[in-house]
Amino acid sequence: MYKRRIMKDRLFTLAVSVLGLLALAPLFHIIYTVTVRGVPAILEAGPSFFTEPPAPPGSERLGGIAPALLGSFWLALISTMLGIPLAFLVGLFLYEFKESRLARLVRVFTMSLLEIPTILVGMLVYTIVVIPLGGFSVAAGAIALAIVMLPYVATYVERALDSVPATYREAALGLGLSRARTSLIIAGIARRGVLAGFLIGFAKAIGETAPLLFTVGSARNSLNPSPFEPGDAVPLLVFQFIATPYENWIKLAWGAAFVLTVTVLTVFIALRVVVREVRL
Amino acid sequence: MAQKRPAEARSDKLFYYALIPFASTAFLIILLTLFVLTAKGLPALEFYGLKVLTSTRWLPNEFDPEKAVYGLLPAIAGTLVTAIIAVVIALPLSLSLTVLVEELAPSRVRDILSSLVDVMAGMPTIVYGVWGIGFLAPILAPIYSGLQSTLGSLPLFSCEPTGGFSILTAGLLLAIMIIPFIFAVVKEAYRAIPATYREAALSLGMTRYEYTRLLMGMIKPAIIAGVLLGFGRAASETVAVALVVGNAFNLPLCIIGPGITVSSLIANQFGEANLYPLMQNVLYLGGLVLLVLGLASNFLGILMLTRVRVRV
Amino acid sequence: MEKAVTELKPPLEVQIRELRVKLEGREILKGVSLSAKPGAVTAVMGPSGSGKSTLLKTINRLIEYYPGVEVEGDVVVGGVSAFEMDPYLLRRYVAMVFQTPNPFPHLTIYDNVALGPRIHGLAKSKKELDEIVRWALEKAMLWDEVKDRLNDYPSKLSGGQQQRLSLARALALRPPVLLLDEPTANIDPVNTKKIEEAIIGLAREEGTTVLIVTHTPQQAARISDYIAVLYEGRLVEWGPTKEVVLRPRHEITRAYLKGEI
Repeated sequence: MYKRRIMKDRLFTLAVSVLGLLALAPLFHIIYTVTVRGVPAILEAGPSFFTEPPAPPGSERLGGIAPALLGSFWLALISTMLGIPLAFLVGLFLYEFKESRLARLVRVFTMSLLEIPTILVGMLVYTIVVIPLGGFSVAAGAIALAIVMLPYVATYVERALDSVPATYREAALGLGLSRARTSLIIAGIARRGVLAGFLIGFAKAIGETAPLLFTVGSARNSLNPSPFEPGDAVPLLVFQFIATPYENWIKLAWGAAFVLTVTVLTVFIALRVVVREVRL
Repeated sequence: MAQKRPAEARSDKLFYYALIPFASTAFLIILLTLFVLTAKGLPALEFYGLKVLTSTRWLPNEFDPEKAVYGLLPAIAGTLVTAIIAVVIALPLSLSLTVLVEELAPSRVRDILSSLVDVMAGMPTIVYGVWGIGFLAPILAPIYSGLQSTLGSLPLFSCEPTGGFSILTAGLLLAIMIIPFIFAVVKEAYRAIPATYREAALSLGMTRYEYTRLLMGMIKPAIIAGVLLGFGRAASETVAVALVVGNAFNLPLCIIGPGITVSSLIANQFGEANLYPLMQNVLYLGGLVLLVLGLASNFLGILMLTRVRVRV
Repeated sequence: MEKAVTELKPPLEVQIRELRVKLEGREILKGVSLSAKPGAVTAVMGPSGSGKSTLLKTINRLIEYYPGVEVEGDVVVGGVSAFEMDPYLLRRYVAMVFQTPNPFPHLTIYDNVALGPRIHGLAKSKKELDEIVRWALEKAMLWDEVKDRLNDYPSKLSGGQQQRLSLARALALRPPVLLLDEPTANIDPVNTKKIEEAIIGLAREEGTTVLIVTHTPQQAARISDYIAVLYEGRLVEWGPTKEVVLRPRHEITRAYLKGEI
């Protein structure tokens, strides 16, 4: 009996360690795969990878992903400008009025928004923005991304505010400050946590694909800087190129996937640096 | 001070009301999505009847909607089956990861492991997709062929594999993608168990295996919540699945063969669907099914989570 | 570490020898020597932070789960060093009840009590298990209140009943040594009285070695045979209860008994 229990425990410890590490293993393999296939592609394309549009399908040359990079830049900029202030206010509301019934409802809906397939957000924006405006545009894609990032940023902001010790809040209120002023002071104290929330939003904005499928328009050769024209995005290019039969486009897709991975990892490292120091 | 109070309260009320329009965005977006999908999806249901949900065929017609056949069943079933495969595989891995992080790893390693899971959660889904197409599907292809030649008499493995693109590949890839989400839900609940219960279990002379099992039993609602939320995630994932599922209108009876899911169907067809009368409406209807599925699993998941808090 | 000790023969005396415990560099116990006899109740007293809980949790080696712990000295249970025994085995003989009632909320009353015997395989049949559960609940003075609802969940019990259930869960192992860490700190007087009766009964009838941490001198006087007083990690007084109460030798004990600390 006793020996069997110890055996079971050892087996369990072993199994859990192996399975737990197995759960994490794909991450390393993904980063490895994207690197060993993406870096050679970028090297083959040379500097034009960042300055040119893709070469025609099946051509010997690779060309580059410049329009997608430009599009992703615009998308990230506009969507964070739209989404982050909005999400910040939602987070502020959730924190400041957390005891109200409305806040509880808002929380449920914000969490539910997290579970709405992002492709449906693309369909929604297609229906209410793209069709009325008469065509695809970077702005439409940015709206879709702003919607997608909203729940992530809002819940992160709320958590950051929540982690500030209650004494600060009481001190501010005790000085006779209004709740609006108080909550802004709290946000100031929790600024690193809030910033971390913004970074999460940014990471979402550059990494998401599905919301862009029917909104941005895959204008693969356009270096047009207007947000009201169709554009391209890095993840969108990856999605549409990786499954083609054209060698040069597949290579571009791997290179673009590498760029995307590096960008997101950089944001995550920044996030760690930001949050680690405050321990919020 | 007592005189100042009402004035203060008024400005606070103003603050409250000023924030409401922003706070209600999530609600409005969900409502709007529901409305758009219903308004655009219903015409398809009206025209084709329930057949649109139960048919297994997909024969578009550019000119005459009467001659077209649109059946969402393979896609809906494919969504359910891939998501179920994902959850079944991801659950033991996520629970193991929880125990590894919370019980086995030294505190420094614990932080590193947690950050790695965060990175996993934040990795763009398209990156999982290219890994699926570039690595996972190719290495699974010969395994599928082997399965078919040895276990081909079973319906699950009876079909001709096509280069590793299949329902099972999609399920596996989804499993990897939802591990961080199930882990996050379970870990949070596990960590919230008051220390006194752990001490009580240990004081009875339980081994690590025995007491982790006991504590996991204590947070069972959270585990169920994790499963539901993970299921919702898996069902709604689009681009990674679209790249590996094979996109064939088959019922997912044979899991080593190609299939389709609602989201990959939409991703593949919605762009050109306006060329075919009513096809777009069918896809909106599919979107509605997906939305209901996502909201239902989210709602049930949240319900489960509140049950943990009441109990512990 | 693990020697081939697989069984201990009760009654078991607990001998604590020059015990030093550090938690994250801070010395909590600074060389405590003490023993607790079978069939007697030893009350461990002292102001908060004096190391009472640490002492108890070192006896059943729960302390090892705390971060940055260092233990020197020895705890000998029934002639065998606790640190040379497998902790799982040790805890089958040395049971513990905590300050907060902590029956497992997802297990029924019956399953809570049956947990220990099941883990350690102490019952050969359902009938035997039923008997152990009944015995433990009787010893914890809870049987009459729960015998008709053994399949209820502990949340239906009052706080005091939950604490007696925690006691019953510990007793189901028929432990020769019982550790209690301020078991009545959060309990009403009626339940406190029942728990005290249960403790005295165990020592007298079962010959159990009982160590109880208490913060009320009155409780120590009511139930204990010996009193040990800890102050800042040192043992400042140890002797038969009557002597300690009537003729405290140490200034700190006197102040403590008067309620000045």
